[in-house]
Amino acid sequence: MKGRLLLLQVATPALAIVFGMLIASVMILAIGRNPIDVYAVMVRFSLTRTDSLFSILFKTTPLIFAGLAVAMSFRASLFNIGVEGQYYIGAFCAALVGFSLRGLPAVVHLPLALLAAAGGGMVWALVPIALKLRRGAHEVITTIMMNYIASALLLYLINDVFRDPTQIGTPRVRTPVVAPAARVPSMGPLLAPLGLHGSDVEKLNLLLPLGVTIAVVLAYFLSRTRFGYEVRAVASNPLAAEAAGIPNARVQFGMFMLSAGIAGLVGLNDILGFFGYLDIDFPKGLGFLGISVALLAKNNPLGVIPAALLFGFLDRGAAGVQFFARVPKEIIVILQAIIILAIVVAYELLTRYVRTQRKREAELVVTATPVAEGTGS
Amino acid sequence: MNDLFIELRHITKRFPGVVANDGVDLAVRTGEIHAIVGENGAGKSTLMRILYGLYQPDQGDIAVKGQTAVIDSPRRALELGIGMVHQHFMLIPVFTVAENVILGSEPASGLGRLRMREARQRVADLCRQYGFILDPGAEVGALSVGEQQRVEIIKVLYRGAELLILDEPTAVLVPQEVEELFHNLRRLKEQGKTIIFISHKLDEVLAISDQVTVLRHGRVVGTVPAARTTKAQLAEMMVGRPVLLELEHPSVTPGQVRLEARRLRVPGGGKRLAVREVSLAVRAGEVYGVAGVEGNGQTELVEALVGLRPIAGGQLLVDGRDVTHATARAIRLLGVAHIPEDRHRRGIALPMAVWENLILGHHTRDEFTHGALLDRPGIQGFVRRRVGDYDIRVADTDAPVLALSGGNQQKVVVAREFSFNPQVLVAAQPTRGLDIGATEFVMRQLLAARSSGMAVLLISANLEEVLSLSDRIAVMYGGEMVAEFARAEATPAELGLYMTGTKRKDEARAG
Ligand SMILES: Nc1ncnc2c1ncn2[C@@H]1O[C@H](COP(=O)(O)OP(=O)(O)OP(=O)(O)O)[C@@H](O)[C@H]1O
Ligand SMILES: [Mg+2]
Repeated sequence: MKGRLLLLQVATPALAIVFGMLIASVMILAIGRNPIDVYAVMVRFSLTRTDSLFSILFKTTPLIFAGLAVAMSFRASLFNIGVEGQYYIGAFCAALVGFSLRGLPAVVHLPLALLAAAGGGMVWALVPIALKLRRGAHEVITTIMMNYIASALLLYLINDVFRDPTQIGTPRVRTPVVAPAARVPSMGPLLAPLGLHGSDVEKLNLLLPLGVTIAVVLAYFLSRTRFGYEVRAVASNPLAAEAAGIPNARVQFGMFMLSAGIAGLVGLNDILGFFGYLDIDFPKGLGFLGISVALLAKNNPLGVIPAALLFGFLDRGAAGVQFFARVPKEIIVILQAIIILAIVVAYELLTRYVRTQRKREAELVVTATPVAEGTGS
Repeated sequence: MNDLFIELRHITKRFPGVVANDGVDLAVRTGEIHAIVGENGAGKSTLMRILYGLYQPDQGDIAVKGQTAVIDSPRRALELGIGMVHQHFMLIPVFTVAENVILGSEPASGLGRLRMREARQRVADLCRQYGFILDPGAEVGALSVGEQQRVEIIKVLYRGAELLILDEPTAVLVPQEVEELFHNLRRLKEQGKTIIFISHKLDEVLAISDQVTVLRHGRVVGTVPAARTTKAQLAEMMVGRPVLLELEHPSVTPGQVRLEARRLRVPGGGKRLAVREVSLAVRAGEVYGVAGVEGNGQTELVEALVGLRPIAGGQLLVDGRDVTHATARAIRLLGVAHIPEDRHRRGIALPMAVWENLILGHHTRDEFTHGALLDRPGIQGFVRRRVGDYDIRVADTDAPVLALSGGNQQKVVVAREFSFNPQVLVAAQPTRGLDIGATEFVMRQLLAARSSGMAVLLISANLEEVLSLSDRIAVMYGGEMVAEFARAEATPAELGLYMTGTKRKDEARAG
């Protein structure tokens, strides 16, 4: 009985995924394809090829940062929808530091670029959080507005101010290339001795272990420190927290800055880890994906890692399906959305079920042992 | 002919680590007022939630009017004529009385248009039928606590309830409002309604009920007719030993002034002043009682004194230091503790663990921290001692505090605020929801702290409590202190006149 439940709990995410796939099958059937074939392609393509595995990890990296950024704000009852804009600004700041400074050693230049990215994200978040805490303006509205501004500002900066002069006259609109010292080292050299080679292996960079490390540190920070305790109090009853002398506004400000700082790092996987410049067509939308990642992870920093992996897998699998099963791209996007939605719903239902079952069991244990009368007296 | 409205047979309900109800048998006759009493955590609320379909019993069954029934939801309970008056009012402040009453079962025309006039009429009829003084068109946010409770009762009657469950309805009322409530309850009973009434105040229980059932540790100790029992007997049945209902009030020579307010002005909601020119000084070794009907500025005064509400004018001093514009944290650090009037609002964070709630506000102390980290072993020791000293009934201190019974939640707040020898204690309704044993314990604690030099500001709607604890008693009415008495001079009747605004300070001076 107990073992069965434990098994169910461990299997919950997997069951949720199966459920999601079942729902999506209806969609696949509707366009006249065989779901089993489509899924087979998806799994074979993404899980049996080394290049796919590394591509998944590469796509997972920014999602870890984005998921963590969103989760940190949610933890403090704030909705940072502005991760998107914050990472645009962060990416630009990192690129600026990367290409405008020359001759610095990597141990100085790279940390400087990372700090610039985090700082850029934080600065971009200052207006919304100040408006929230001083004037009560809802951060959802203000961060969305800041996203628009960030997007337009970036186009202007790349196109009109910092465009690489050597590219003028070509269709390539991008900043100059960053100094090699500011680039995030690839994990290729570390993996080569294991017999792993290829361009997808090379793409993987040290931001992945950095993201995982940040997740672990945050989990510890939130559950063990005084500040983490204050965050819990502020989130679960701000009035009682205030009465206990906890400065609500300062706690929320701190968490929002933490969120925005991490958000600033989201774009670096592509900018400093891969391309080496900021192109006008750099990957967008990661901040919004971060919201889904955080939801799936239930704002748990450690849960963000598997949640981000799942999104990375879906993305890679979609590419395979598009290519080998010749399913149109739009359908793939719809499929992804359906799977995610179904997973979120199924996950919620299953956790609830496990929780009530656990409670029942706890009650059974009580009946068996005669500790009936509460404690205390 | 079966005149039992409800028959509970062998109801058992378990929660992790506790048996909340253990084979409970309860029979409630149609048309009676049946009181249920018992210590904090005895299982009263749990039993009522089972009856109202909020919880399912693990064992046992329920018969309603002689028919076995499965009550799996409040909706089903209402179909069977069982209604519950919520302790924490679920009203929408900007709606009128009538709008609140009909919410969820609005009368509508065939096209779905709300028949507001009909609704208002039906609510007015109900009020007339049962003698409730209530204006169906009044906005609920502007009503007193007692009136809001009446709205809750009308709401349940509107849905056709024959049996009303009232779980500690008087905990939030002042004596006059209790009288009014009892008047209404008797009227309901005359008209054939059945009432289950829970209270920790045995005088009330004896005054209003026909039968009294006593629960202890989830089991029924017995059911006795109210006319043939006494407070002492009930108390003994509840606790399992005789309870001393007397309290000693040793004389203490007061020391220096610890907490002082000078012509304090505090805004309420909007621009209106909730506290107008209030001056008071509480000395070390003294309990200064503030009596008054709730809603006369006490809430705002307390919040201002502990730094939770901006002060518009006047001065606030702690130990002679000006803290008029200090933060709540700064005032706390000067040794001011605060028991808030509403534990769920300001006192505890329901989803957080019992241990987390017990250190709230103390969590920055050296004994609980290791640099930036919380020191779990240090905290565990403290938590274990507090749980033991205050007899907080909890199976596991890692459980969220919402799993505790109402009285045990209050004990968490009280235990926490009494920790680390505060110099000043601002206590609003400190014994609200506590059983007689716990009430007596907290009162003793208060007096012991007073003897060792603590300055206590006691705000209470419970006159008996104010009178038995205070050295000086002030009455607050309409945002002002309208009278101040020395302990020996104060009588309930005299206080009552000031509390209702019948008499004022100036007249008292003249006379
Ligand atoms: N949701 C819950 N989860 C776990 N335990 C619970 C829950 N609700 C109640 N309990 C436990 O059941 C027991 C009975 O609680 P209940 O609220 O019925 O007491 P009560 O008689 O109403 O006490 P009080 O006078 O303090 O209101 C307590 O030990 C309480 O901790
Ligand atoms: Mg209760």
